[in-house]
Amino acid sequence: MIRHALILSLLFAVQAHAETPQQILDGLVQEARRAQQGFTASATRGEQFYRARQTGGDAESCATCHTQDAKAHGRHNKTHKDIAPLAPVANKERFTDPAKVEKWFRRNCKEVLGRVCTGPEKADFTAYMLSIK
Amino acid sequence: MGVTYKNLAVLLLSIVIAAFWIGNGQADGEVNFPMPRDKIYLEECGGCHTAYAPGLLPARSWRKMMNELEDHFGEDASLEEPQQLAVLRWLTDYAADASNATPLMRRIAASIPRDAAPQRITETALFKYMHDEVPAYIWKRAKIGSPANCGACHTRANEGRYAEREVRIPK
Ligand code: HEC
Ligand code: HEC
Repeated sequence: MIRHALILSLLFAVQAHAETPQQILDGLVQEARRAQQGFTASATRGEQFYRARQTGGDAESCATCHTQDAKAHGRHNKTHKDIAPLAPVANKERFTDPAKVEKWFRRNCKEVLGRVCTGPEKADFTAYMLSIK
Repeated sequence: MGVTYKNLAVLLLSIVIAAFWIGNGQADGEVNFPMPRDKIYLEECGGCHTAYAPGLLPARSWRKMMNELEDHFGEDASLEEPQQLAVLRWLTDYAADASNATPLMRRIAASIPRDAAPQRITETALFKYMHDEVPAYIWKRAKIGSPANCGACHTRANEGRYAEREVRIPK
């Protein structure tokens, strides 16, 4: 019983806190500036990164699962599960929970690049997603 | 006593309730699996694939899986400790061999050798038996792709519901 209560209260403590996509982008730019002074995010670089063919991981590119159009539904490369659109303009839940954004960068960068993404890569990618109309 | 509107209304209401009861309860009871009600399960274990019902595998399978989440079928599905503990608890509480298991769950548990802790639902004998009428070319359809994509055909799989009338095989 006590263990149960403890688990529940821990879950409560780590509950997600909501932000706007712009706030999330600002946070990623701050992070990128720690690695690269004077960094500003570029949606154009982000788009190149999104479509680029990579060799380090199991999926060839971000677009493999999210498709060439980030407003469209995608499909997981291994499980074939439907993936809801990634661009906030098509899915208002996207880029609103910093912990979730961080978690999926960690997983999917490994899946595509075979390594973690750098601060500038994450900021550019997010700038591209937010720029999609 | 004559037929009054009130009597009629009560009668109609009873029929509706009875129909609802039969439609939702007994008929599907056998193919509904208990699911963790917290959205954490859906988010953490339903992000990459269907949120599989814990009752599809025995507790020993889930314990093994939860110990190896950093390398989960080649992917990193690791969780923070509080979520990890909660998910493990739900998986074992509602596992196929849990004390309150439904008859179907007990059949699943009984079909798995005691010394085995299978990690794939789709490789268990009972899964194959239940799907032996689905021809190979159907699994390969773009919107299905894999037998493990339960939600592609069982429209309410994320709620643990696998009744026949809720199956829609995508074209
Ligand atoms: C980062 C993505 C990801 C997450 C998160 C994830 N899985 Fe998986 N899971 C996979 C992949 C990939 C496969 C293998 C798909 C394949 O090869 O058919 C898989 C397969 C499975 C299978 C076997 C399915 C079958 O019968 O073939 C089970 C059971 C499973 N996962 C349970 C879980 C549970 C429980 C969780 C939550 C703790 C979880 N998964 C979280 C990616 C994930
Ligand atoms: C190609 C679509 C498809 C996929 C994918 C699929 N199933 Fe099924 N499933 C069926 C069909 C068709 C039946 C047979 C119809 C029936 O008798 O309910 C069935 C039957 C079942 C039944 C028995 C229902 C009953 O009435 O006794 C269960 C349980 C079940 N599936 C679970 C799963 C699980 C778990 C997964 C994923 C690991 C899965 N299915 C994936 C199509 C599918």
